Amino acid sequence: MAKVCIIVVDNGFFVIIVIYFYLFRPINIKKTILQNEILEIRDVSKSYGRLKALDSLSLTVERGSVFGILGPNGSGKTTTLGILLDIIKPDRGNYFWFGKKPDATIRKRIGALLEQPLFYPYLTAVQNLKIIADIRGVRYEEIDEVLDMVRLSDRKWYKCNSFSFGMKQRLAIAAAMLGKPEVLILDEPTNGLDPKGIADIRNLIVKVAKMGFTIILASHLLDEVEKVCTHVLVLEKGKKRYAGPVNEALGNSFIIEVAAPDLLSLQSALKQIPQVKTITRQNTMFVLNVHDDLTPDLLNRKLSDQGIYLTHLAVRNKSLEKYFLELLSDGHE
Amino acid sequence: MNKLIKIDYRKYGHSRSFWVLSALYVALVLIVFMVIESFLNHVMTNVGKGSSVTIPGFSLYSFPHVWHNMAYLAGFFKIFLALIVIIFVTNEFGYKTIRQNVMSGMSRGEFLMSKVLFVFIIALAVTIVLFLSALFLGLTHTDHLTAAMIFPKMFFVPAYFLEVFSFLLLAMLFAFLLQKQGLAIGIFALYYYVIEPVISYKIPAGVARFLPVKLITHLIDVPNSSLMKLFGVNFRETVSWTDVGGCLVYSALFVLIVYLYLKNRDL
Repeated sequence: MAKVCIIVVDNGFFVIIVIYFYLFRPINIKKTILQNEILEIRDVSKSYGRLKALDSLSLTVERGSVFGILGPNGSGKTTTLGILLDIIKPDRGNYFWFGKKPDATIRKRIGALLEQPLFYPYLTAVQNLKIIADIRGVRYEEIDEVLDMVRLSDRKWYKCNSFSFGMKQRLAIAAAMLGKPEVLILDEPTNGLDPKGIADIRNLIVKVAKMGFTIILASHLLDEVEKVCTHVLVLEKGKKRYAGPVNEALGNSFIIEVAAPDLLSLQSALKQIPQVKTITRQNTMFVLNVHDDLTPDLLNRKLSDQGIYLTHLAVRNKSLEKYFLELLSDGHE
Repeated sequence: MNKLIKIDYRKYGHSRSFWVLSALYVALVLIVFMVIESFLNHVMTNVGKGSSVTIPGFSLYSFPHVWHNMAYLAGFFKIFLALIVIIFVTNEFGYKTIRQNVMSGMSRGEFLMSKVLFVFIIALAVTIVLFLSALFLGLTHTDHLTAAMIFPKMFFVPAYFLEVFSFLLLAMLFAFLLQKQGLAIGIFALYYYVIEPVISYKIPAGVARFLPVKLITHLIDVPNSSLMKLFGVNFRETVSWTDVGGCLVYSALFVLIVYLYLKNRDL
């Protein structure tokens, strides 16, 4: 960090000159070059007795990304987020929010929903949010805004113990959004919500992400992560299995769906195309695994050359679920 | 600090059980204050029946002794206040709202400080109740009242504050360390009624005197009454600085223990 020069002067006195080479300080390099880094985790571990909940996790999260944390139950998702929020103390390792050592003030810039909604049951929704607003130093006017966002305005004067789990969950998301934090941490945000609530929260996440906020989202619902995330971390038994952009995780492998009025002739035509790896029939269409160089337009041309005109042609990314299962099963081989 | 008080007011000010328990405490204390003199006199006349010595009647309410008498009497009810503190501190763990507080940007130190302030305000409030009711009783029951009679022994009022404050911090310590409501109440009561008395019985009196509950309770000694004088017993009519110092040291220690415990713990 700092370079120390010890100059031995002839008369025997030691003159110690401490020179800080600010330009070479690692933190400053990050500030100038990697301004986008919002969170850095360095080698964090946590054990509960003999169980390693988190094993030397290192990670960086960039500004504006929607970062998904994926993993089966008990893989260390909530432990990771708990550590980032100072709820859980790591055994080893550091983490930095906005390039700084974490403290309570920095947490005011982070909104979080961890594991389950936590409220004073005998207080109303508004009274509960006022406590959080006081802690964060947020004006009370914002309470109505966030309650509106999660569609709880009509229940704001009701006590929290009269709320269903889904409503509490929505209130917790409202609490997390209070004060427009730069980072939103959501741990299983769609837990206990009805389909409308799930869709609402998804739209909300996408909307908030577009506004430039960074979102860290833990989930075991792959579909959820796939729909909203730009980056993903895959955890298994506390170990990092993959971290990086979602599309990189999926590669550029994609699948093509095709359908035609005459499925039999379509099938025989497909079999003659060398780039088609597998053909699977799904109801009234075929799902194709193809080589990268077989683009949809090329496929379409090849088929029309044979007199087959498609009624359905769609390109889909390989699903994250498939990728995820592949990744986790690799580890057991 | 104002912010922390405001936050805790938001937490407990709207809680019905908090106000019900507080009102119960105040009602209990006031009723006992009002009936104690006639009650004691009633008991004494019954006991004294047939005795050759005439037992003098009690007059608890006259200045300046009313301060001492009422402060001592009110000391019996501090266990009730300890109950309130334990209930509301353990609630934060039970509802896991301490997590939500810390997550939202409160430091662990601030959380602890908010609870110390909560305890401070309870102690202050019951001290005001004591002050006003003793003042009222004194003013209405003192013969030949002069202003000079009011002020001596008024130091029992701040002594009562210190007694309650440090006692409630002890209760808070139990609440933070045990976290489960029933467990904390049970263990605290066990400590108060059984464990400490047993320990103090086993160890030399000079050391036992410095056990927390004993020291805190020792702050305000039994008031002298005409009955005691009859037996030639004479209790301390002052507050000793050793006790005051001891209470302050204990208070600081309780807060420090909770701080160190909370600092590196998973919530």
